[in-house]
Amino acid sequence: MFIRPDNWNQMSPLERRQARLDSWQNAPTPPFVSPEAEKNYRERISRVRKIYDMAPHDRPVADLFMGANEYIVRRKGFVGKDVIYNHAALREPTLEFHREFQPDVSVGAMPYPGKPWDMLDFKTYIWGGQKLPDNLAIQAVEGEYMLASEYKEFAADPTAFWMKKYLPRAYGALGPMAMLPDFPRISESVDTIDLLVPFGLPPFQEMLKKMMEAGNELMRILGEVGQTGAMVVSEGFPGMGFNIVKTPFDYLGDTLRGTKGILMDMYRHPKDLLAATEAYVPVLVNSIVGASDRTNAPCAMYVLHKGADGFMSQAQFEKFYWPTWKQVMLALYEEGITCYLFIEGSYNTRLEYLAEMPEKSLVCHFDKSDMKRVKELLSDKFIIAGNVAASLMSTGTTDQVRAACAELVELFDGKSYIMTHGCYFENTTDDKIRAFIDSVRK
Amino acid sequence: MSQELIDAITDMREEDAVAITKKLLDGGASPVAVLDACREAMGIIGMRFETGESFMPELILAGEILAQISAVVKPRMQQGGEDKKLGKIVLGTVQGDIHDIAKDIVGFMLDINGFEVTDLGVDVAPEKFVETVKSTGAKIVGLSGFLTLAFDPMKHTVEALKAAGLTDVKVMIGGGQIDENIRQYTGADAYGKDAMAAVAIAKSWA
Repeated sequence: MFIRPDNWNQMSPLERRQARLDSWQNAPTPPFVSPEAEKNYRERISRVRKIYDMAPHDRPVADLFMGANEYIVRRKGFVGKDVIYNHAALREPTLEFHREFQPDVSVGAMPYPGKPWDMLDFKTYIWGGQKLPDNLAIQAVEGEYMLASEYKEFAADPTAFWMKKYLPRAYGALGPMAMLPDFPRISESVDTIDLLVPFGLPPFQEMLKKMMEAGNELMRILGEVGQTGAMVVSEGFPGMGFNIVKTPFDYLGDTLRGTKGILMDMYRHPKDLLAATEAYVPVLVNSIVGASDRTNAPCAMYVLHKGADGFMSQAQFEKFYWPTWKQVMLALYEEGITCYLFIEGSYNTRLEYLAEMPEKSLVCHFDKSDMKRVKELLSDKFIIAGNVAASLMSTGTTDQVRAACAELVELFDGKSYIMTHGCYFENTTDDKIRAFIDSVRK
Repeated sequence: MSQELIDAITDMREEDAVAITKKLLDGGASPVAVLDACREAMGIIGMRFETGESFMPELILAGEILAQISAVVKPRMQQGGEDKKLGKIVLGTVQGDIHDIAKDIVGFMLDINGFEVTDLGVDVAPEKFVETVKSTGAKIVGLSGFLTLAFDPMKHTVEALKAAGLTDVKVMIGGGQIDENIRQYTGADAYGKDAMAAVAIAKSWA
């Protein structure tokens, strides 16, 4: 939990940022397993902090989270289905990996809640042990979860649309959410009737029962995952500190309209699309600030999709994608929250837009971009991360990984740089992981 | 050839393009002439894609417009008169991967550039590629995959084609994380970074 200092209203954005980073860095930890583990933890989190601060530091950090989060358990014979359903069993291989490889920051499989997904008939993904083979983890299922004719309804009240239209379509068990009342109209004495009617009806009660059962199951999973996370911390490994978010356009495209739908909407329904992205801004700002306060994470991690090179023209990016995203990011900057941009694909034609943002407002994590231009355009203002190719980790030689990492270390010498992968991969070798980790160590 | 129709398509004026098509046909224009205009328009869009003036929205919408025009034109077409194709291509997203958008764009671009494309869809097993190459006589296979999990199925598909004795069939691969490293790993003959690259590779093999 982040508690705002008393003088919050008098603080500048960068002072607020410092306050959030202080709170994250000094957050209570579980007891350390040894004085050495505590010393390592303090040293590691301090190094990340200096990089986030763009202050002088001894070396870059190597972060495996975006690439090797499954490999650390797959190397011990676990498969995708285990990542979805078998959380407690992942603890030992996760701890073993940290002890053996001593990474700069913690890495763990994503806490996918497989059983709650089954219980609620979750439809927007498929996963190992369900519709995918056991060896695979998860894939998104693109769909049209909002019709083009529903844009206006969405823009009028995004939250109501999400509750009453999207959730019933995305989760088979949540159909009765459509029965929810219109909350802002609950005002007069008798309106309590409207508020409570759904809760008295059997289908809604049945849905609530399923949600409570799924919630109980989720708590069990989070207990297991949380215990693993706490043990990793107690052995001396901090996390990077972020919540996952998206841009207004990507929420609409990835989740509601689908890629084809939203790209054609730029021609077929441009005004409706723009109005929807604009309606999203205050909802997102409130939601991200709330999540940052609750979790004490100093960064909001943007998983970026449809603004990448090739997805749209500069003119379309300027009209549909960038303005509302920038508005959200500037609002977060005012709140002291750093936007950590996980930029999938290449972003060579968008770098100048990012450069418009204030100093230290961004961590820019690249996948397949031209890192020389990145250095030139962005590295004086922002923290830079990434670009070690997943293909190299999967199929290259250890020497190739070593050479690619060395090139990046040299390129960003003297800058605030985080060595990371551009994309997740299932398979690699221990030697390549070691070469990656060692690349930043002098 | 109707410049009015070509302009409507290349300007992405969807409703105008369909209305002009109907007007042309009602006025006595031949279905072949309408399709020639479509082909010309698609060529312009493809060229703009190559030069960075058109992007995914235009390719996807152009495909939609073409489908609508085809629905109007085809009932009025007489049998026969099929164009001579540059070659046959079997295309699909490899086993375990369900992403189709990039594959669809590649298929569309190959089609408008004169290839006969058999699109097997997504999550396609190596045996299905082998079987289809044999039944169609295609000499080119295009394997698509968005995720890193596509690397091994691509490799297995290339191996399956060779094991089936289809050594004169060339394989090109593409998708989100595909690069030269993966081409070497899978044993494919070429990789393309986008749909235009796929067309260029296919033409060089045709």
